[in-house]
Amino acid sequence: MISGKSIDELRSLIDNGSVSSEELFNDALKLANECQSELNPFVTIINNYEHTSGKSILDGIPYALKDNFSTKGILTTGSSNILKDYVPVFDSTVYRKLKESGAVLMGKTVLDELAMGGSGLTGHTGYVKNPWDTTRIPGGSSAGSAVAVSKGIVPFSIGSDTGDSVRKPAALCGVVGFKPTYGRISRFGLFPFASSLDHVGIFARNVKDISYVTDILKGRDEMDMTTLPDEGFLYSSKLDEPIKGKKLFYIKEIVESAVTSTNKEVISKFMDLVNKLRSNGITVEEVSFDKRILEAIFPVYFIISCAEATSNNSNLTGFIFGPRSEGRTPEEVMKNTRTVGFQEMIKRRFVIGSYILERENQEKLFLNAMRARHLIVDKFNDLFLKYDGLLLPAGGIAPKIVPEKEADKLNNEYLILENHLAIGNFGGYPSITLPNGFVSGMPIGVNLTCAAKKDLECLQIASKIEEVTGLKNITSGGEVDA
Amino acid sequence: MISIEKLKKYANNLEFDMKESEYETLRDEFEILFKQMELIDSIPDIEKYSPMSFPFKLEDAYLRSDEVTMSLDKKDALANSKDTLNDSVKVPKVVE
Repeated sequence: MISGKSIDELRSLIDNGSVSSEELFNDALKLANECQSELNPFVTIINNYEHTSGKSILDGIPYALKDNFSTKGILTTGSSNILKDYVPVFDSTVYRKLKESGAVLMGKTVLDELAMGGSGLTGHTGYVKNPWDTTRIPGGSSAGSAVAVSKGIVPFSIGSDTGDSVRKPAALCGVVGFKPTYGRISRFGLFPFASSLDHVGIFARNVKDISYVTDILKGRDEMDMTTLPDEGFLYSSKLDEPIKGKKLFYIKEIVESAVTSTNKEVISKFMDLVNKLRSNGITVEEVSFDKRILEAIFPVYFIISCAEATSNNSNLTGFIFGPRSEGRTPEEVMKNTRTVGFQEMIKRRFVIGSYILERENQEKLFLNAMRARHLIVDKFNDLFLKYDGLLLPAGGIAPKIVPEKEADKLNNEYLILENHLAIGNFGGYPSITLPNGFVSGMPIGVNLTCAAKKDLECLQIASKIEEVTGLKNITSGGEVDA
Repeated sequence: MISIEKLKKYANNLEFDMKESEYETLRDEFEILFKQMELIDSIPDIEKYSPMSFPFKLEDAYLRSDEVTMSLDKKDALANSKDTLNDSVKVPKVVE
């Protein structure tokens, strides 16, 4: 009943009495339990149907939430052993708003530990696997949320995006992933990773559904001083307004960086889309960009995020929450707790963050990375004066699974095709990934990024792209014209 | 090259320990990090930019009114702690 259906379709079914919300919930549970042993997208599958009636389009519709959003009375682990038994005593604003809208939470999804990673392999409950090919990664960190939507278990799910953690897994799993402008959605109750880069993001199988959920979640929140005032209109109501004279650009050096035959095929599909958009009246121009700056995107992201993460996670001591190890002194308790509580990759990132923040290294490392962030944002802000959006391939196809110790290891190569999405986090830009076909049987994505606060424009152009590709409401295992 | 001893010092300051092989992986990562930092340093005019700690200028920053909106009561604040005594989190004795 629920599998693969859009929010509009489910709304109609509930409203005309063909199905009840509880039946949809039970259907989602059944699908979740069926795929859990093979794909492992959930930390917790919620067996109790709890529905607070709302008056929104989401009323009665099941969804899944990444396990780094606080949910009062429901286990919330951050997919880390250090929080494996943590039960929050308050709700995140995202969860509260969805509850008030009438949406029904059916599961908390697996992430890379504490949202630091891009593989979906480092959560404390084990690997999440790509539903299109279980020998491949789903991408992360919002791995389980991407899989839950891709498998058709729920029509939408919630993730968080600090470097590309919604938009990349969306591409690798063949769904739509959107992160609105920084501050558009409250981060209150979201476990912080790197606060100046953290965004709430949404997964769905079409742009209209993304806009419905964004409408519910957006707006100022007294609990998050960085939230933006609401514009006073619904994105979903303006999504289909005609757009004319839009100008997009893509970056020559990123497109030309494809080396492997698979990536060349990804680029070929991307250029096909560019040509189709041009035929549909959208201008798409090639822009050349200093390659050194593009190569600096990942190091800048890495340095800033490690530094902020080290500070943000210093409260994980085992005293106030989480499991506590034995020790003769408070220091010994803390050390033993953190030694067993964090996996290797997290520890490495914390050590790097700590080094970066040390007084004698701050100028050369941390402050210079922040200067480079400023420079990159200035350059893109200039381009957004001339263009309505940046269009790029979201990356290549999902890589094969490697041991989790190897995942997210710092790489000696500058993989600019794989790492450019962090631009959207540096400038807080609205950014959306959409399906753009298949290569070697695996889904690939195209990404659109627009100027800060131009969320509606971003969704409108994305809707047009979706119309041009004809790729919407895809579920893995469903029929697809690849 | 950064020494393993120095990395152990950082881990110790962060209140955790790592395996020997993990320190070696970390040392390799530092080598890559240093190389990447040189790349950032080589960007022309980088020194002319101020460090950016927020995505954009917040033109409508606000302070909420000075009223109590949400606070945790003692029961909730202690709910996740493994060892409590009366209204406090209990830890091993600092002074024997």
